[in-house]
Amino acid sequence: MRTILVLLSVSGIPRVLIGQRWERQVQERVQRTIAAVGPSPRLPVVRRSGMLNTDEAASFQTTLAQHTPYAIIAVCDDDCSRLQLTLLSPSGSDIAKERNSESLPTLHFTAATTGVYGIRVVMEGCRWNPCWYAIAVVPLRKTPS
Amino acid sequence: MASVKRWVAVGLTACFVLALAYLPPRGAESSGKSPFVGQPLWGTPARQHAQALADGWRKVDATLRLLEDRQRVRRDSLRAGPTIVFHGATLPPNSVHNVETMIDSVWRDLGLGETKVRVTLVIELQRPYSSDTPTPLQDQVAYLAPDSTHRTTCLAYLPAGTYWTLVILGKRDARHEGFGRFEHWLQAGLGPCAFYAAYGTPGRPVESWLAARHWDVGLYLGSHGIAGERFSSLDLLGDPRSPWYWDGVYSFPPATVACLAGRPRGCRAAVLTGAAEERTIPIPNVVLVERRWWRVQHLLPGERYLGDIARTVGRDRFLSFWTSGQPVDTALALALKRPVGEWTADWERGFVRPIRLGPTPPLGGVAIALTIAVFAIVVVAGTASRRQIR
Repeated sequence: MRTILVLLSVSGIPRVLIGQRWERQVQERVQRTIAAVGPSPRLPVVRRSGMLNTDEAASFQTTLAQHTPYAIIAVCDDDCSRLQLTLLSPSGSDIAKERNSESLPTLHFTAATTGVYGIRVVMEGCRWNPCWYAIAVVPLRKTPS
Repeated sequence: MASVKRWVAVGLTACFVLALAYLPPRGAESSGKSPFVGQPLWGTPARQHAQALADGWRKVDATLRLLEDRQRVRRDSLRAGPTIVFHGATLPPNSVHNVETMIDSVWRDLGLGETKVRVTLVIELQRPYSSDTPTPLQDQVAYLAPDSTHRTTCLAYLPAGTYWTLVILGKRDARHEGFGRFEHWLQAGLGPCAFYAAYGTPGRPVESWLAARHWDVGLYLGSHGIAGERFSSLDLLGDPRSPWYWDGVYSFPPATVACLAGRPRGCRAAVLTGAAEERTIPIPNVVLVERRWWRVQHLLPGERYLGDIARTVGRDRFLSFWTSGQPVDTALALALKRPVGEWTADWERGFVRPIRLGPTPPLGGVAIALTIAVFAIVVVAGTASRRQIR
């Protein structure tokens, strides 16, 4: 049952798209990106979305499982030119920061221990405020070693 | 002889200095009181205090109403234009439909479609007077700008007054020239919300600058006049030949008057009023437009200044200014590709011929003064020449 739910969540099954054009834009974009990175069928994909004005930041916490590789991706709407993505340790210090990929920053991380990690997104460039963004924490299939 | 010349030079210099110091500026009249005014127009201290309290109450009341409306309003997701809410009376469906059709037309005229920040227009219809409760804010337009809790909603509170209430209820046709047309009233009522809809939330420096000056340069996005085809706040000054025109001119800050005279430095100072200090934007961010907003402008006709800039420089350059993190003068000069003062002085000349500033002695006064001066010089010269030792 859980597997079916995960598959439904990441597959291209049409959903009732509500909200503004820009919200739909980032939801479709993050959906495509999740499908492209190849999520693990065993664990759920965590998604967050919202709006930010230029130079504003938002953060949330999520639990990452031990020895599971994750792709943390962020997308934003067409008016956004630069988005910064940071992964924070359970103690609050920066683990990784991605600010070079403009509007599609991606982080790859495998947690040594299971814990609650922080994810922070900063809207560094938005030409028409507010800009929509979406973040997905995607557990990846473990590569055979 | 050298002594006489020196005296003449000193006398003329003194006359010039006195003229400079005491001659009235152009257009100024004597401040003689009218014999028909028996008591001061501003009321007693007790009355002023009562009015200030009532004013404060109305502002708080308006803010609460705006916040309540923002919570209550249910959006029609199929409508791109503003959502309209009526207060004060229950309207027949055809009246609501008429107003919605009109605002959709206004929306299209402004070149707006689906926007990131959506607008809700709360139209307060005139209520009958009640002596039990204080009269709510019925003649002051207020706006609730988007903030971190509601990023995509701008709410405009528009009191309809008696005239527009009758028009909305279908009891009167909006034909009276003095009130302009209904769509002009609706378009003007969108105020800063039209800018939020068209260009989104401004960057911090621009938002702080606009808050400091009560949005006087961003009250109207349309290309017509704010209250009719060509009507602007400049028209409220009246005929330049009338004495009250100059009273009106000199009631504005010096930089505003200098800009009316076509001086780029004055225009720059008038535009950048409020840009120096970075203010904290309050939450809720309520913009209360002064009842007589045209009397507290720092630039004339400031209500259309930003709208005209947006039309002149185009959407992309205006957006780069609007969302810029740079100081306002830098961001504006970059968008205009010209110094702010020069561009604004040219813009000002498009509305009014530069007024002439400086002292203007009345003709009779000049004649008398010159006669006295010549007489004094002759007397002094005569006395001095008689006292010379040959």
